[in-house]
Amino acid sequence: MSTESLISARGIERTFGKEGGVITHVLKGIDLDVAPGEFVAIMGKSGAGKSTLLYQLSLLDVPTAGTLSIAGTDALGLSENEKTSFRLWTLGFIFQDYALIPDLTSRENVMLPLLMRGMTWAQASADADVALTKVGMGHRLNNHPAALSGGEQQRVSIARAVAGNPRILFADEPTANLDSVSGRQVIDLMGELHKAGQTIVMVTHEEEYAAGCDRIIRMEDGRIVL
Amino acid sequence: MQSIRIGLLLGLRQIQRASRWTTGLIIFVMMLTFLNLVAVSGILVGLIEGAVRAVKEQSLGDIVITPLDTEERILETERIESELNTIPEIASFTVRYKAGAVLEANYRERRDLRGERDTANINITGIDPAKEDEVTHLSTYVSEGEYLDPNEQGYILMGKYYLDRYAEQFGSAFDSLSDVYPGDVVRLTVGDTSKEFIVKGIVSTKVDEVSLNTYIPEKEFRRLFNRLDHGADQIVAKVESEVEPARIQTILTDLGQDDLAKIETFEQAQPKFITDIKNTFDVLGTFIGSIGIVVGSITIFIIVFINALSRRRQIGILKAIGIERRAIELAYVVQAAFYSFTGSVLGVLLTYLVLVPYFDANPINFPFSDGILLVEPLGTAIRFVTLFVITLFAGLIPAWLIARQNTLNAILGR
Repeated sequence: MSTESLISARGIERTFGKEGGVITHVLKGIDLDVAPGEFVAIMGKSGAGKSTLLYQLSLLDVPTAGTLSIAGTDALGLSENEKTSFRLWTLGFIFQDYALIPDLTSRENVMLPLLMRGMTWAQASADADVALTKVGMGHRLNNHPAALSGGEQQRVSIARAVAGNPRILFADEPTANLDSVSGRQVIDLMGELHKAGQTIVMVTHEEEYAAGCDRIIRMEDGRIVL
Repeated sequence: MQSIRIGLLLGLRQIQRASRWTTGLIIFVMMLTFLNLVAVSGILVGLIEGAVRAVKEQSLGDIVITPLDTEERILETERIESELNTIPEIASFTVRYKAGAVLEANYRERRDLRGERDTANINITGIDPAKEDEVTHLSTYVSEGEYLDPNEQGYILMGKYYLDRYAEQFGSAFDSLSDVYPGDVVRLTVGDTSKEFIVKGIVSTKVDEVSLNTYIPEKEFRRLFNRLDHGADQIVAKVESEVEPARIQTILTDLGQDDLAKIETFEQAQPKFITDIKNTFDVLGTFIGSIGIVVGSITIFIIVFINALSRRRQIGILKAIGIERRAIELAYVVQAAFYSFTGSVLGVLLTYLVLVPYFDANPINFPFSDGILLVEPLGTAIRFVTLFVITLFAGLIPAWLIARQNTLNAILGR
C-alpha cells in the first residue's frame, strides 16, 4: 500500500451468487491507488464492473476478498454503523439519478448531512446556502426536487456531497441522465472542485468528460486493463 | 440528538408532503380506533351507570337509612326525622313503610267463582306523597292517571309491571293484573284484612324499585298493616348538590343515629353486584376496545411498512450519505406518532364535546336503563397513552425492518 494514497485497494474481488449455484465474478483482484487531490475516471463497457468497483471503494458494498484502506483507515474492518459514520465524515456521493429526498427543499437536502454532523440548524442552513450558491443554485434554495430540472437536481446533489468538505467525492455516472449542456455544466463544476483540491473518483461512459481527469482507469471483464 | 433532529425533519416533511386525503383517512381510522376503545367500554359501563343513577334519583337518594341488622324496623323513626329536619345540608327526605300484600282486580265482574282470580302478590309502600315527590319526583313518572293527593284517601298508585299490558315481555317472572286502568277499583288484602282502593295512576320507569311497587299514603298503610309503632322501613334523603353525602353520614353518626338505624351513602347501600357488573363491563369494553387497538396498530404497521417500502431506495441513499439508521427509523415513528396523536386528540374532542353531551341528552333506550356514555378522564388518558405507545411500536417495527436492509441493495432495488 502506498503511504501517499488516499485510497489503497488490494486484491479486491466481488462475486455474486450462492455456493453450489451459479457464481458470477464481477471484480477479479483489483489493485488500485488514488492519491490525494487526484481526479480519477473509471471507464468501461456495461458489465465491466466499474460501478461495482465504485461501490466497494465507497463502502456501499463489501468485497468478497481483498483489503481496502481509505484515508489511513482499514475500511473493511468497520462495522455497519461505523461505515455510515465514516461515509458521513469522509466521503461524498453523487448518484446518476441525483438521489435527492423529494420531501425536502434544496436547502434541506444539503443540510441533512451537516445536521447529522452535529451542526446547529442555523449553521447548517448557512453552509447549505453557501454550497448551493457555489453550484449556481442559490436562487432555488426553497424549491423541492420535483420543481427542478435534471441538471439543477444534479447540482443540488453535488452541493449536498461537498457541503461537508469530504476527503473523497464519488460520482456514479453523474451525467448519464442529463442532456449535453447540463452534463457539461456538471463536469465543469466537478473540474472546479478538483482544482480546489478535491479528490474525485468518477464512473463515466463519456470519453469527452473523462478526458479532463488526471487519470482514466479502464475496466474490462472485472479487471483493470489500463 | 442529531438523529432526533433529522428524524423529526424527515418525518414532519413526509407528513407535510403526503396526500391530504390519505393523511385525513389515516387520521380518521385512528380516531375511530380511539373512539372504539373509549366508547365501547363507555357505553357498556354507561349502561349500568345509567341504571345506577336512575335508582339513585328515583329511589335511593344520597343517604339511605334502613333498620339495623338486628331489628325489623328503624328505631325511633320520629327522632331521626326530627334530626334530619335540623340539618340544613339535607335538601329533602322521605320516610317509607314497606310490606308485601295481595292485590286483586276485576273481582266485581267475576261471574265464574270457580275460575282463577285476577290477583298479584305485590310490594306496597306507604309514603307521604308530597315528601316522596320532593325526593324522587315520583309524580313525574306517572304515565297514566294522576299522582297521589296528600289530602285524599282510598287511592293507590301502581307500578306498571303489575299490569299485564306492561309485563307481558317478562313472561311469568312476576304477578300482574289484566285490564286495570286509572279509576278502576282493586282490592288490597293483608292477612285477613281487605280494603278497596281506586287506582289513581300508573307509574312507569325503568327502575324496578318503582315500577314493581305500589304506593298508598303512609297513614293508610300504617292503619292497614297495623303499624302503629311508627317504625319505618326506609328513610331516603337527598343532600344539597354541593354537599358530600359522606359528610351527612358523619353528622348523623355523630348525633348517635347509627344506634337507631343503619346509615349509608348511596354508594354503600347499592348492592355489591352492581359494582361488580360495572367493573366486569369495563373489562369487557376494554377487551373489545383492545381489538380496535390491534386493528389500529396493524393499520399503522401496514401504512408505515408500505411507506417505508416505497421509499426503500431513499432510505438506502440516506444511509449512503451518512444518516444514521435510528434517524431514519425515527422519521417513520414520528409519522406513526402524528397519526395516532392527531386521531386520538380528535377522538377526545369528539367524545367530550359531542358524544358525551349527546348521550346525556339522548340516552340509549335499553330495556332496563337509559344508557349514557360514561367516560372517565383517567380512563381516557390511560387509553390515549396506551394507543399512542402501541402505535409508536407499530411504526417502529416496519421502519426497522426496512432500514436494516443492505444499503446498496436498497439503493439498487435488489
